[in-house]
Amino acid sequence: MLATARTVPDVLVFIASAAIILGGAVGVVASKNPVHSALNLIATLIGIALAFVEQEANFLAAVQIIVYAGAIVILFLFVIMFLGVDRNESIRLEPLAGQRPLAVGAVAVVTGGLIALMAAGGWYSGATTVIAPTDPSNDVGALGKVIFTTYLFAFEATALLLIIAVVGAVLLARRPPASLDAAQRADDRDVAVGEELT
Amino acid sequence: MNTVAMPSVHYLVILPEIILTVAAVGLLIASSLVPGRLRSSVGTGVTVIASACVVVDCVFQWVDISRHGPSTTMAHVIIEDGFSVVAISVLAVSLGLSALVADGWLCRERIEGVELHVLVLASAAGAIMMAQANDLVVIFLGLEIMSIGLYVLAAFDRRSARSGEAAMKYFLLGGFSSAIFVYGIALVYGATGTTQLGQLAGFLSANVLRSQGLLLAGTALLLVGFAFKVAAVPFHVWSPDVYEGSPTPIVGFMAAIVKVGAFAAVLRVLASGLFTQQDGWRPMVFALAALSMLVGAGMATVQRNVKRMLAYSSISHAGFVLLALWAASPRGTAAALYYLATYALLVVGSFAVVTVVSADGHEDLTSYRGLARRRPLLACSFTVLLVAQAGVPFTTGFLAKLGVIESAVEHLGWPGVALGVIAMVATAVSGYFYLRVVVLTYAAPLDASPAAATASTLATSRPRARLAALGSGILVEDTRDGELVDHAEVYGAAPANGETAVPLATAVAIAVCVVPTVVLGVWAGPLVELTTRATMLFHP
Amino acid sequence: MAIVDQYLPILGMLVLGALFASASFVASSVLAPHRKPTESKLAPYECGIVPELESPPRFPVRFYLVAMIFVIFDIEIVFLYPFAVEFKALGGFGVVEIGLFSVVVFATLLFLVAEGALSWGPVKRLTKAMPSRTSDSTIARITPRPTDRAA
Repeated sequence: MLATARTVPDVLVFIASAAIILGGAVGVVASKNPVHSALNLIATLIGIALAFVEQEANFLAAVQIIVYAGAIVILFLFVIMFLGVDRNESIRLEPLAGQRPLAVGAVAVVTGGLIALMAAGGWYSGATTVIAPTDPSNDVGALGKVIFTTYLFAFEATALLLIIAVVGAVLLARRPPASLDAAQRADDRDVAVGEELT
Repeated sequence: MNTVAMPSVHYLVILPEIILTVAAVGLLIASSLVPGRLRSSVGTGVTVIASACVVVDCVFQWVDISRHGPSTTMAHVIIEDGFSVVAISVLAVSLGLSALVADGWLCRERIEGVELHVLVLASAAGAIMMAQANDLVVIFLGLEIMSIGLYVLAAFDRRSARSGEAAMKYFLLGGFSSAIFVYGIALVYGATGTTQLGQLAGFLSANVLRSQGLLLAGTALLLVGFAFKVAAVPFHVWSPDVYEGSPTPIVGFMAAIVKVGAFAAVLRVLASGLFTQQDGWRPMVFALAALSMLVGAGMATVQRNVKRMLAYSSISHAGFVLLALWAASPRGTAAALYYLATYALLVVGSFAVVTVVSADGHEDLTSYRGLARRRPLLACSFTVLLVAQAGVPFTTGFLAKLGVIESAVEHLGWPGVALGVIAMVATAVSGYFYLRVVVLTYAAPLDASPAAATASTLATSRPRARLAALGSGILVEDTRDGELVDHAEVYGAAPANGETAVPLATAVAIAVCVVPTVVLGVWAGPLVELTTRATMLFHP
Repeated sequence: MAIVDQYLPILGMLVLGALFASASFVASSVLAPHRKPTESKLAPYECGIVPELESPPRFPVRFYLVAMIFVIFDIEIVFLYPFAVEFKALGGFGVVEIGLFSVVVFATLLFLVAEGALSWGPVKRLTKAMPSRTSDSTIARITPRPTDRAA
């Protein structure tokens, strides 16, 4: 929320972004088709970008769209398409009877409780932004300064996170060793030449 | 353009992370440049050397702290104090020992390559970040680095479907809990305007909040996130399944690293950052501690898979550490640190023994029958490790349990006494299931028709196992009839075969776990002294 | 207020895009011939034997790895951009820090390349149909070699 007085367009943009975010989130869960879920996820992410814009964090809005909506959801879609969009998977099966109503009830209680606590709680109104005081024309610069000073350690630690991501992806994508007998392996070679990673 | 003042960096303090990262990146580059697969023993060597370097660095840090007192560095997001140093050295020792245990396993499974070591090093670096973080953002990053590495490690055994299932469960629930944790950070930030623990404590002691609601909600969500990671009841349902499915040497590492890292962070957040909000978080910790101790111990008694049993026992241990956290006193912090240090060794050692004994994939408790005749030394080590976990005198486990119970009962009034009584009951119950395994280990092997005997044992234990599975919330298909036949067949043939030798590295690791457990249990002074002194050097 | 003004052209674009998409649908429903396609028209290739079973999906895992590389470097660029904007103010220390970050990220690229994430095209491998039968053993069966005779 902006520290300055909220203008009518700001409130309108906030309401619009909140509606897009929530609508998209409900759509992700409610859609039966996984592709529709992914598209709804894009809507949610664009809504978040809109919320960033409303808070004058233009760079983060752009990153949100380029990295999340642009790269990560496309990766999701990639996987969904490859695994088969039209494969029917029954999600009606309930391993524990009555878990769905219970879950809905629990979510309602927790969400209601959190909202009640937040409404009652006093928001600390001094620090409205991590990079205060912001200069709306140079939010990237302010972000750069903060990354290389206050969050220097966190920034370098992110590199470690990227290593784990890559090694993990390679490890999981690699074909399990010695699980296929020779005949099956020869069969695989006929069907898809050059697919083996190892 | 004016230049920005760069944060001062005390390299001695962040050297543990640097060492582990350099080792991980070095292994990665070496494995890319060397033609063919790098041998896994190279990875083990590098990991062990790196963890030894971290321990040496800890000694230097300790000297530094003794001279200059605790301090912060890197724009106050990293802390150097006695508590963090002891936690880091425990993490480093667990890392080195786990690498030794994993080496024997990798040789046995004929897995080449150093990916496991890269992941283990990175995970441990994440846990170390949590142990010395002074900022909720850094704690979260450490938590993610540690957890994501462990998700992949849980799936490391690609030939086993259970390993994949375990990783999937761990990943989904872990990701969910991380999201809850971030939400908690956001709410705490909303209430106080900072994520740095020092500033948080300063703000809360200087200001009186008009309404506690927001901060309370944030604290509760943070606590839920931590409780998921340390598997405290009622956020424990993933743990038995993940422990059962993951590769055994990884489970020991997982149990030690996650518990030490997450508890170090939660102790710092609650006892340092949110110290003034005790009235808010102590009831929550009370409930978590009481439930974890009772449910963990109770459920462990009905398990018939040794890894599931150890999983429930580790839930119970988490309850004991929470007990010390509930005490919210320097004595409690010291007791928690002591508990974590001893527990890390015990759990790595126990899973090392399980790695060796259950090499053929049979983790059923009945496969431990007569272990003492086949492998006296191994059985003796296992006995020590289990007895110490049960909290029998003259082991470190006894002193650990005594310490946490004392710190809780110190608080006069019914809650402390109630927790103390619950802890006693849990200890008594846990004594039953640990000693049951010990007795089984020394029992005579079944000679006459082992198949029939095993089948009957399984048949009688089935209803209870089903009950256990129901209680854990996730239904496990470990009570199928087909499996019964499989087990019976295998036990008909198994005892006749010669046993494979214990790999040297694993033997060394087990010895390193067992010897301090007894020595420090009898000669209690040094470690108790160390943890108490470490807590005195706790950064306020 | 001024910030939101900057984004008005984007709103205009969105409206135009929505208009174009809906106009296309309307146009196709108005202009297209209204015939129901026959069953054979809908069949794959409109002829031949109708497959009863779908072939199991087979896809090279390598696609994921390329996508992975893309995401990783996307994230690195996100960090590089603020650094570039504040390059002068951050000075030598900033260069060292971003250098360290880049070294670590490029180590992962090296690892991916070594794992064959970027080597495309068919891999030609010869596998033995029967590893137990080699040309050696086959020939030895006809004319025993001196070593066999000794044994």
